[in-house]
Amino acid sequence: MGVFIDIVNVVLPAAYAVVVWTYGKAFFGDLPWAKAVKSHMLQSALALHFLFLVVRTIEFNHPPVTTIFEILTVLAFCVALAYWIIEIRSHSTETGYFILNIAFFFQFVSSIFIRDLLEVPEILQSSFFGLHVTSALLGYSAITISAVYGFLYLMLYHRIKASKFGVIYEKLPNLETLERMSYTGFKMAFLFLGLAILVGFLWLPQTFLEVSYIDPKLVGTIVLWLLYGAGILAKRVGDWRGRRVMILSVCGFWITIFSMSIVNIWFTGFHSFY
Amino acid sequence: MNLLSVGISHHTAPLEIRERVWFSADEIRVALAKLRAESDAEVVLFSTCNRTELYAFSPGESVPDSERLRMFLLTEKRATDIPETAFKTRKGMEAVTHLFEVASGVDSLVIGDVQILAQVKEGLALAREADAAGFFLTRLFQAALHTGRRARSETRIGEGAVSVSYAAVELAEKIFERLAEKRALVLGAGEMAQLTAKHLRAREIGELLIVNRTRERSDALAAQVKGTAAAYEDLASHLRSVDILISSISVEGYVLTADQLREINRKRDGALFIIDIGVPRNIDPAVRDLENVFLYDLDNLNGLVHENEQKRVNEIPRVQRIIEEELREFGSWFNGLHATPTIAALTDLVENIRKTEVEHNINRFDPRDRELVDLLTRRIVKKILHTPIVNLKNGTGESRSERLSKISALRKLFGIDHEKDARHDG
Repeated sequence: MGVFIDIVNVVLPAAYAVVVWTYGKAFFGDLPWAKAVKSHMLQSALALHFLFLVVRTIEFNHPPVTTIFEILTVLAFCVALAYWIIEIRSHSTETGYFILNIAFFFQFVSSIFIRDLLEVPEILQSSFFGLHVTSALLGYSAITISAVYGFLYLMLYHRIKASKFGVIYEKLPNLETLERMSYTGFKMAFLFLGLAILVGFLWLPQTFLEVSYIDPKLVGTIVLWLLYGAGILAKRVGDWRGRRVMILSVCGFWITIFSMSIVNIWFTGFHSFY
Repeated sequence: MNLLSVGISHHTAPLEIRERVWFSADEIRVALAKLRAESDAEVVLFSTCNRTELYAFSPGESVPDSERLRMFLLTEKRATDIPETAFKTRKGMEAVTHLFEVASGVDSLVIGDVQILAQVKEGLALAREADAAGFFLTRLFQAALHTGRRARSETRIGEGAVSVSYAAVELAEKIFERLAEKRALVLGAGEMAQLTAKHLRAREIGELLIVNRTRERSDALAAQVKGTAAAYEDLASHLRSVDILISSISVEGYVLTADQLREINRKRDGALFIIDIGVPRNIDPAVRDLENVFLYDLDNLNGLVHENEQKRVNEIPRVQRIIEEELREFGSWFNGLHATPTIAALTDLVENIRKTEVEHNINRFDPRDRELVDLLTRRIVKKILHTPIVNLKNGTGESRSERLSKISALRKLFGIDHEKDARHDG
């Protein structure tokens, strides 16, 4: 199974690259063959990715969420899967190129740095930990998808405002649809991050003797969660709508990437297990 | 191919002449009945605001008389003073090519016109109803309709709005998800406002308010587009709740300034799409800088229309390739209608079946009998085919049209024609 894992680890980013390229050809080149095969190619990549995650779990005897690079491959899978579900439900296949680029990027980074981890701390095998990490991953996937739709909204918004037409204007769904999709991701991000924080708080005192509530990762996530909460409040109660909420969504994504990178690279605390 | 087309179009005559030879559906029915009574030629006539075209196919030895058909059209419309130069006559494959180009929208005044396909279809339906379209013209028009459908589905010849009013509605659909849930306010009752209001109604806009300084005119337009007339004095309050504003009144100064709209926008929810088609402009251009407000004037809309027109023109080579493919297909069908190639194809087909079956089963027979089996099956096949072949060669006393029709049916029954034929039957 080790050989299989090594091969698929190389094949997966290539598969996502081909999927992204095909979606790009369909979007920018309007090529009929690309339109016909792109969804099937995505499904094949997802199936291979799912198999990869299952085989890794069996081979290393733990779910692949114990290192940042294991988490990245799961995140890539979640983003691609979430997009596939959106594609099926909305019958809109035009935004795939933009979202799947993110999935490709996550998988590419993961494939380069991921290492086989046979010895896993006992703490990471807890079911609370599984729920905590799953919620956090779903939250980060939602942040990513919300930001991509927010970015597409802003692109289309400025094109319509400036009377600049072209492929972006022609192919993207309307502004309200993009806003709705982005805002759904926004709400999901708030919900799942909230759940991850809650589970973490319940689980911490039972597991760790020395708990620091000013752990950088914990503080960063709470700040992020509050930011998304404030965005929802501003939209529901205040007069925030359209462009402003979309800017917040894109900023939320970059703050996430920035803060998580800083936290993982520069800080250490009880929240680091590897 | 004894096919002829006589037609008048925007290429050959101005509107004031074209409109004089425009035929309504009832007039087409009468004309077809007269033409059928005069000769045994198959005929199809269709008429639109940009063209009137008559197609005639003679099953006899000679091509229909173009001058007689042209004069027939003019006499029917009592317009015999229209000069011959206003008409264009085409024969054989040139007429077929022209019909395919018409159905594909590349010959239209507005490239990619979507209505022409329906008009060609209606022309065929009227001719079939009047028993004026026989097997040839039915097949020709079905092939033309198939070509037109392919052009629209395989290329972008019909995409993008090519009128200012339609471009405005298309833009609205790029901003809003469901027009059925939106409110539009039409300020003014001029021609452009009317057209845009009609397009919005056709796209099932949720609510359409009509505001004009003259109440009678707003009432009249509201009745026309199933909208609601509202008082001009209430304009400001309505602006708080509408999503689309179409403004086209003649007024000095701006009806709506940026400051006014900034104030109104505070009490509004969602985007506001403003189409300013008034001359001079009705809306302060500074409105464009406000968040979630999209302002389009005539220049912006014309820019979009021009861009779409150019895109359609760029699609013409792709459509021409489809037309060439369909012309080859049609030509091959027509060439197969002669008796000699049909007899050869039928003989080959049956001989191949005989040969294959004999080869598969020959080992079951005694080696001494094998030659006899081959001879016997040859004789059976020959005898079965003898009468059909003689009848195909010499005919059975039927007209040429009936004979061609029989050849066509025979080719279809035995699958001699390409399988693609089935697609043309739709």
